[in-house]
Amino acid sequence: MDEMTLSVTTAAVRVDGLSRRYGAIRALDEVDLTLERGITGLLGPNGAGKTTLLSVLATVNEPDAGRVTAFGLDPRDAGERREIRRRLGYLPQELGYHRHFTVAGFLDYVAILKEITDRRRRAEEVARVLAAVGLERRARTRIRALSGGMRQRLGIAQALLGQPELLILDEPTAGLDPEQRLRSRELLSGLPGDPVVVLSTHQADDIAAICPKVIVLLQGRVHFAGTPAELAATAAGRVWAAGERDARAHLSWRGGDNRWRHVGDRPPAGAELVPPTVEDGYLLLSHAAGAR
Amino acid sequence: MTSPSSAGHRPLGDGDWHASPDTLAAYARGQAGQADGADQADGAPAWSVEAHLAECPRCRSALSAHVAPERLARNRSVLLVRAALGDESRVKRALGRCGFPDHVLRLLAATPSLRLSWLLSVIGVLAVLAGEAAAARYGWIPAVGHGRVHAAGPGRIGGYPGQGLAPFLLVAPLLVLAGVAAAFLPAFNPAGRLEVAAPCSGFTLLLVRTVCALGTALVLVVAAAFVVPGPGWLPVALLLPSLALCAFALAAATVVDPRAAAVVAGILWAGPAAWLAVDHVPLLIAAPYAQLGCAAVLCAGVAVLLVRRDRFEWGWMR
Repeated sequence: MDEMTLSVTTAAVRVDGLSRRYGAIRALDEVDLTLERGITGLLGPNGAGKTTLLSVLATVNEPDAGRVTAFGLDPRDAGERREIRRRLGYLPQELGYHRHFTVAGFLDYVAILKEITDRRRRAEEVARVLAAVGLERRARTRIRALSGGMRQRLGIAQALLGQPELLILDEPTAGLDPEQRLRSRELLSGLPGDPVVVLSTHQADDIAAICPKVIVLLQGRVHFAGTPAELAATAAGRVWAAGERDARAHLSWRGGDNRWRHVGDRPPAGAELVPPTVEDGYLLLSHAAGAR
Repeated sequence: MTSPSSAGHRPLGDGDWHASPDTLAAYARGQAGQADGADQADGAPAWSVEAHLAECPRCRSALSAHVAPERLARNRSVLLVRAALGDESRVKRALGRCGFPDHVLRLLAATPSLRLSWLLSVIGVLAVLAGEAAAARYGWIPAVGHGRVHAAGPGRIGGYPGQGLAPFLLVAPLLVLAGVAAAFLPAFNPAGRLEVAAPCSGFTLLLVRTVCALGTALVLVVAAAFVVPGPGWLPVALLLPSLALCAFALAAATVVDPRAAAVVAGILWAGPAAWLAVDHVPLLIAAPYAQLGCAAVLCAGVAVLLVRRDRFEWGWMR
């Protein structure tokens, strides 16, 4: 069975010809993609359309054209949209907390919105997600008293309520310190039930660490879809190291070893090529697309 | 139950007796749950063990050895969450006894926008009453409510001079609208994006909140109408215009931005009402044909709302 056939048969979420405009701005331009179970990383600069794409996948935003299906369900149908939402966990980029809520009160509120009406089950579910993000000792704390990182973890916690099959996380690691980022990697990679997770982030190393698949979105279009290794491989032969800065490189920086690392299309003859990373592949793609 | 040195079943409450390891193990497995307890490992029914555990720290401590640490931690977390959620208020308990589902009450109690809505209603009604009293006191508006002394004519309905009531009649339905708008405008609801993505129907949520806000605002406005000097039927006459205005705003919110809908509804009310006040006939609002007009707007608004309710499911991000 070739890869294309495999993709068709296992795709949990399909996006075909998706377009969305905000006035004169084209946020999404005929996006086609498939998402399988497991974690898919979504990379792209600010304004590339990531948040719009995620909000459409989360059924909170209506596309101008194109079609989305999740688990075979079409969100244009009210009943099917509701069924998708029953299986959905969504962390928007700007969550918008009710600041007077306590941590437990907020999660209890979201659990009710997720149709967990039984009080006992709600308490169990709230306790479960609090433990998952390490906030169980903060249940009584008011949200306004939490640090930015804790609020972000609370955002992840609310998305995990109800053990969703489709988890859409818009920059979940923004504002987290290194340890918290590693813990969030641990959490996301160990989710039970093998859900479909879409993770939008600016952290290429998060993608390389936990995502079997990565999508690069530039100017509202999908410019790459594949594995992190494949994305890194697109930069093969275009990353080199040197003792001096090279003006031919698109981007250069001096490393801790005091040598310059260059990323560009035309390495000089005899350059010391170095193994590319996901970040290098992404930089070259976005440069080629003129997104930066 | 056993003593520290011997096995056997004794009545509960005896300080010398303790649950045997077998009893505690059966209880931890959830197999001591039958009242008669005849076929249990140690013969002790669940209620009996529980009653004893409540009084006996030693047996509580011994019980933990029979429960998986993960389960203990989980139960502790659940207890912490329940404690953090706090006790229910008297109002909530009373409503619960009246048959309101717990989750609906919690949803309402936890909806911050409703607090603003209620606050707006209270402040608005108090402000209008104070304004009305001050205006009458200083002679900016003629005093009203001195009985059926005038013949029916321009500016009068059923023999009442209406111009003194103009501020209240103008503002009362707007207060109700403000209360409802505060309950459904996204600006007052920072968690709106989460709510839109939740399976709980956005339209249902809207209705629950609107009815709640509407009820509060209407009660206040109608109570104020009893206080304001004027015809006895004034409170009833205010109901239809208030409801019609809210239905119009909600129906319009399915077509245009909800903020614009609320503003347009307010202007559509304030314009004619101000004209009537200037013309010294504000009580025409209570005239049968005006009430019929309000009823028609109310029906049309509800119909549009029902037909276009799907707009509340997609959110307001277009």
